[in-house]
Amino acid sequence: MTFDVDIDAFQGTDPVYTIAEEVFSAMIDGEVGHLRAWAGPEPTLTDEVHAWVDVRGPVQGRVLLSTEQPTARRITRALLAMEPEEPVGDADLADALGEVANVVGGNLKALVTDPGALTLPEVSHDRPETTPEDLIYALSLDWRGRPLVITLWNLP
Amino acid sequence: MRALVIDDSRTMRRIIAGILRPLGFDTVEAADGQEALDALEDGLDVELACIDWNMPNLDGLGFVTAVRKDGRWRDVTLMMITTESEQGQIVRALAAGAHEYVIKPFTPDAIRDKLQLLGLVGLQESA
Repeated sequence: MTFDVDIDAFQGTDPVYTIAEEVFSAMIDGEVGHLRAWAGPEPTLTDEVHAWVDVRGPVQGRVLLSTEQPTARRITRALLAMEPEEPVGDADLADALGEVANVVGGNLKALVTDPGALTLPEVSHDRPETTPEDLIYALSLDWRGRPLVITLWNLP
Repeated sequence: MRALVIDDSRTMRRIIAGILRPLGFDTVEAADGQEALDALEDGLDVELACIDWNMPNLDGLGFVTAVRKDGRWRDVTLMMITTESEQGQIVRALAAGAHEYVIKPFTPDAIRDKLQLLGLVGLQESA
């Protein structure tokens, strides 16, 4: 069984976007309107950081959230109610971005029939190994002017 | 009142504790279900436990099951706060003895509303 989420079943709304928007408005921004679809050509990330959770069981898949270090630090400051220029440690960044991936992934898992269990989040500067043909879906987002990409992958 | 916040994410523990403290709770944190269970065994007295589901060592469902099996902790209110949002998982948690269930992402208002339903927060704190 594959990790297919039936995007068309949501009557014109993108469930991945809807979930991401809920996560950012409820837990990061405290208000709606700061996360939107990326306009223009697909963004090229520099100084990348990736956070992901896997679904293991009858359905095997990965929810991967990719962004840039400065954006990840800004997300961390927002989640932890830190000052705008307060230094962000690597452990806090990994924990915060991992939790964002966990919440997005957990809610996406609920859209899959008989999905199995969610793994604990992982965070890395290196993109986890994936095979291009296993890409199910990609959504490029704009959070406060900077790119953030959510991708769904089938796992063997 | 004292609340035990159980989540393997330090970020999430800080967020939840930050919501609870203005509502009148002293908070104690644990990074997984086993650490929380050990704290209770050591005599930690709490009125509320906020419990994540997916954690290393002992997960949230295991913690709820263990607490409900032991009469010493029958008065502890158990509130799951988790990304596990399938109906089947909610039923499992409630059947195991959780009193309430909050799905991440949540707002501070959602936590306050649940605590008010549970009678742990009065109207004046939730206003």
